[in-house]
This record gives sequence, C-alpha cells and structure tokens, in this order.
Amino acid sequence: MPGRRRPGRSATGRRATAGTTALLTLLALVLAGCAGCSTSSGSDTVGHGPVRLTFWSALRGSQEVVDEFNRTHDDIKVEFQQVPSGEQGGWTKLSNAARAGNSPDVATIEYPQLPGFTIDGVPRDITKLLPDSVRKKILPQALDLTTFDGRTYAVPVDIEPMVFLYRKDIFTKNHIPVPKTWAQFESSARKLKQAQPRSRIASLFTTGGTLYMAGYAWQAGAKWYDTVGDTWQISMDDAPTRKVAGYWQRMMDDDLVRVEPGSSQQWRAHLRSGETAGYLAGAWAAGSMMASTPDGKGKWAIAPMPQWDPAKPKVSTQGGSTFMVTKDSRHPREAMEFISWMVTSPGALKAKLASGVSSAFPSVPGLVPVARKEMDTSYYSGQDIFGLFQKEAERIAPTWKWGPRMTSTTSSGDDGLAKAGAGSGDILKALRDAQSRTMPDLKSLGLSVTTR
Amino acid sequence: MSTVMSSKGAAPPSAAAAGPPRRTQRRQQRVAAAVLLTPFTALLVGVFLVPVGYAIYLSLFSEDHEGLGFGGGRTVFTGLRSYLSVLEDPSFLSGFGTIALYCVIFVPLVVISALALGLLLDSGLVRLRRTAQMLVYLPHAVPGIIAAVIWLYLYTPGLSPVIKLFAQADITIDFLGLHTVLPSIVNIALWSGLGYNMIIFYAALQALPREVIEAATIDGAGGIRTALQVKVPIIRGSVVMVCMFSLIGALQLFTEPMLMNQATPMVNSRFTPNMYIYDAAFRRNNYGLASAASIILLIVTCVLSYIVTRWSGRRERRA
Repeated sequence: MPGRRRPGRSATGRRATAGTTALLTLLALVLAGCAGCSTSSGSDTVGHGPVRLTFWSALRGSQEVVDEFNRTHDDIKVEFQQVPSGEQGGWTKLSNAARAGNSPDVATIEYPQLPGFTIDGVPRDITKLLPDSVRKKILPQALDLTTFDGRTYAVPVDIEPMVFLYRKDIFTKNHIPVPKTWAQFESSARKLKQAQPRSRIASLFTTGGTLYMAGYAWQAGAKWYDTVGDTWQISMDDAPTRKVAGYWQRMMDDDLVRVEPGSSQQWRAHLRSGETAGYLAGAWAAGSMMASTPDGKGKWAIAPMPQWDPAKPKVSTQGGSTFMVTKDSRHPREAMEFISWMVTSPGALKAKLASGVSSAFPSVPGLVPVARKEMDTSYYSGQDIFGLFQKEAERIAPTWKWGPRMTSTTSSGDDGLAKAGAGSGDILKALRDAQSRTMPDLKSLGLSVTTR
Repeated sequence: MSTVMSSKGAAPPSAAAAGPPRRTQRRQQRVAAAVLLTPFTALLVGVFLVPVGYAIYLSLFSEDHEGLGFGGGRTVFTGLRSYLSVLEDPSFLSGFGTIALYCVIFVPLVVISALALGLLLDSGLVRLRRTAQMLVYLPHAVPGIIAAVIWLYLYTPGLSPVIKLFAQADITIDFLGLHTVLPSIVNIALWSGLGYNMIIFYAALQALPREVIEAATIDGAGGIRTALQVKVPIIRGSVVMVCMFSLIGALQLFTEPMLMNQATPMVNSRFTPNMYIYDAAFRRNNYGLASAASIILLIVTCVLSYIVTRWSGRRERRA
C-alpha cells in the first residue's frame, strides 16, 4: 500500500522539529554556561602583585587607552579584549558571560542597551562606588541616562548631541539656507530637489532607523518609556511622536529624503557623490565622515539640529557609550578607578585621539579643550565643531528614558520602517508595531508595564 | 532474531509445551526486544523527552522581576505567564500567518508538479527514466542550508547572474522585495522537495495493479485520461499524505528564512514560529518565552500529526 509508506522526512525535509528546538535551547544554556570559561581567569590577584582587571570593549582606540593606563599605573594592570560591536555579537557575548558568572571586570555598553542589561543583573550598582569628584565632572544629562530609580549603573564616556552635517558647497551654490527649524528643513529639501533633481537633503534610514526616529521624537518631547513609581509606562505613539512620524512620512511620501538602510554601502556612495547632501546624527558622525568620505574635505560643515521651537531649543542624542563595573568583578574598587581614569583624564582622551580620528563628544565637558586641541578640523574648513557640540550638549533634554529591551524593540521598528519604505504601512505603524511586539516580552519578565 | 520468530511461529499452543522452553523463549524475546529498542529509547529520551521536559521546566520557572526590574531577578515558578505572553504576542501569531500563506502557495505547487512528474515517469514517455529520476531527486540530497546559500546568491542584487541577465533585457526583478520574498522561499523549498515527493508518487503508481490500466486502455481511455481519471484517484491516499506532511514540514520552516533575514529586512527576525523561538532565546535573552513558544509549536505540530494519521488511516480503510 502506498499510503503506508510514511516518509521519514517530509517534503520540506531536514528541519529541526520542535523537540530539537527545545534541545537547541538547552544546548544554548550549556554553551552559555561555558562561554568565556577559559578567558577570564586573569582577574585574580597573584600574590602581592598588581590587581589584574579584564576589560571588554568594541570601541576603537581602546587598546591604546589601556596601554596608556598600564604605562602610568603600577597597582592595577588591565587586560583588554576587543569584542565585536553589539549587533555583531558583542551584546550576546557579554550576556552569556554574565549568565555563566565570568563577565569581565569592566565592559562597554551603549545607552539604549543599559536598562536591559541592568534588569538582567549584569552591571553592578555603583551609586556608592562612583566618587563625587568624578560625578561632578560628568554632564548631568549623560549621568541621568545611566541612573535608574535613583541608582547609577554605568559611567558615560561620551554623549552625542544630534547635529546636522551638510554639504556646504552644494547649499551655497544653490542658495539654499541652512535650516534652523524643521519647517525650514522641509523647504530647503524642496529647494535642493528642485535645483538638483538627483540630490536629497538627507536619508531616512530603514535598518537602524528606529534609533534615529527615537532621537527625533526625544527632541520633540516624546517619552517612549517613562517610569511612574514602580511601573513602566510605554507609549511609542504619544503626541510628539505622532508629530515627528507624520513629518518624516510626508518627507518620504514627497520623495524629499532618500530611504535606505543606515550605514549601508549605498548610503555611503550617495554621501560621496553628493546625491545625499546631509546627515542628521550624533556628534561622533563628524569623525566617521572624515574617515569614510575623505574626498569631502572642505565641502562639509556642521550645523545645529533643526528645531521645532527655536525659542526653546532642545537637543537629543544618537549614539554614545558607557562603562560598567560588572557584578562578577572581584575588584570593583579598582575597576571603578580604571573607569574614572578613562572618563576623566586628559591622558586617556589623548591616547584615544592619537589612535585615530574621533569626534566623540566627551561626557566630561572639562575635557573639551583637550579634544579641540587634538582634533584637526580642516576637513570642516576649520570650524570649531567641539564648540558647537558643547553648546548643543548643554541643550540635551533630560526627559528621555530607554526601555528594558531596546535591541528587540528597535529591530522590530526597523522591520516596520523597511516595510514603510517599500510602500506597506507607515512610520507610525512601524513604531506602534514595535511597541506591541515588545509588550509580551516585558510582561513575561514580570515587569509592571502599562501603556499610556 | 529470525530463529526466534520462526520458533515462535512453530511452537504448538499445547499445554504440554508450556514448560521451561517457553520461559526461555520469552526471556530470549525480552532480551531481543530490549536490545532492539534500547537505541531508539535512548535517543528518544536523550534528544526528545529530556529536552522537552527541560523546556517545560524553563517555560514554567523563569526569571521574575518586580516593578521596574532594576533590583535584579530571581528564578521562580511563574505558572502560565510565559504562555500567556507568547499567545498575546502579535509577532508569534503572525509567524503562523506567514506559514499559512506559505502553505497556500507551496502545497498545491509541490503536489501538482510532483504528481505531474510522477505520472510522466510512470507513463513511460520519458526516456532515460533512471537518469531523469535521479536528476529530479538530486536537489533533495543537497543540505537545506547549502541550498539556501546558493539561492540567496542568485537572489542578491549585484551578485546574482540571473538578475544581471534580466537587467540586460531591461527587466528589473527584486527577489527579496516585500511581495516576492515569500515566493522566493517557496521556490527554494520546491526545488529541494519536488524530487522527493515525485518518488513517493512514482512508487505509488508503480504499485498500481496493471490490469486496471489495461482495462482503461481497452475501454479506449487515452494516456492523459488514464492518468487523471484512473491513476490519480487510486493513489489519492499518497496525495493527501504528501499534502499534510508538507504542511507539518512548513511549520518547522527555519533555515531558508533565517538566512534571508541576513539579506533583506522583508524577512524579519520573527518571520516564522521557529525563528520567533530563536529570537526570543538568543536575541531577547528570554528563555521562558522561548520555551513556552517551543512547547506551543510542539503541541500544534502534534495535533496536526494526529489529524494526518487519523485522516490517512481512515482513507486507507475506506480504500
């Protein structure tokens, strides 16, 4: 009978059954339990020698900073390990190590990811550990983003106010004013398209775009996440967000911005060719532009972010990193000392800047003169970009909080933005979907969550 | 084993023989059964029951936080909370929607094409039958991940010679677009599944009683009519079976979309239920949620398997 000949493998064949999936989960836990078994044995004090710390970071120039620290310190020696950037596996590596109980003494984490890692118990509460002398030097808005419920969990190393990088030559040639408000930004976009039909004023990112959208919403006064008492309040479609989403939707529908994946080859190609004449991003982007678009020397300039209300200028951030002392660290005091040095000492900043071009804005405003002195700004025709960043950094609105699972929230948002870019759905729907795809996660963690 | 079987068959059921020899036989049988069942049981327990048990544990006992969650979590019994969270997650449910749409395209395509190929081979119209059979079957021997990599190469703009070829004829094709990405996945599955299902149909057709075909020919039925009105109705059982197994296989869809997720944002990280589970465990660090989703998927698959067995069993009895 043909019917009895049951195939061992179905038509679509060879796929893991649900049972194997369960096995994979088990395997993952076993693997997680062993990840880094062999790596972090260096944090023990051997006899009376110096305290040895391990440090993981994806930031460029970290090796040089660590070398400088080891050169100038005898009681603490730091062993640095370059890790992949977050999306490339750096976050997973850190959380697996923490799960196994052998994370490094000091690790780097970006602002949006910090609340999630804190909830997972990776960083140590450093409220008492952080010396007041260091605390006082750091821009309050930056420290505010690493402090949850009155406890501090990480020390910001850079804070990145959003600015507008633009092709000064193209703007001047076509008599297009540099926009001071979002209304002007739109009219400048129209003028540019009229003057050079192939050019657009900026890009709206699909991949990676949710974090940019967060920056725009933050500036407009949105609060995607807020805490009231013991409860998270989530609203990725509040009134300011709706205003911002509507604005960018119109820019997209009228073909005034280029819709493309962030950090993509095509985006860089458009920047080089001048077909994209602007870039809204954190202060760090100035250095990144110098490295990736060397031909643009003398053509680019930087302006403050356009405002909704020029009388009450507000700025948000995009990018930036922090340092945490992990719960696993056996030398939290020494780890804190190392972090304090990295964040506040001119020597650390000099070592970092000597390793390559960086325009990251230090979280300690007192270091701005150092950065200004070390940075050659001839690319921006000698513009005092650090002076601009400093002015903008002081305007950062202290109203924003990142949520407990930002990585998955933003990747859901990016999926929606990619669809919106392909003509299905819109920006607001992308953000609403990101919220509804995040809620079950938070609830299953037991967090107290409501939507506004 | 064969001696045990034959001696059992020869053993007279008389009361006289019910002495020690029978006990020996029974023991031998027991030993044989144990030897033969051990590998299966060990595998079943080791790679199925224990992981499923552990997944159930993980889904019921998970990390619990209070309020804002910054105080750190404890692993406690959380009851059905993870299950409720999964079931109210629109992205988990939309994964099943994706699978349903995939089935609507894939199942009729694979059944009709495999059946057509099977009938062609069976009709004797195809020369070099063995070669043809092997050529169609060959893609099934290519591991799924390799097949997906090859197809992804053919789908990616800038790399793909296919897209380049079409571009020369002024035709723009986007295999990874919003509406084309699912058909592109179906194409990969079809390519690898076609030969396999064709063999099932071909085997069923070969088992048909020749006299029925002869009777049809004598009654004046042509080749096509014989195929559609005589052969197909008789092997209906295998058609139903292939349909249902394709459906269950589709529920486990993972490799191809997972790979395409790297290439296009149109395949999101929770595109199918299996991808949702992967995403929950490894991107969201939420093992409770991942385990609950695994168990739900397991239950859905079991229910569907049960329906298949009942349905095909009933059809067989009716035939």
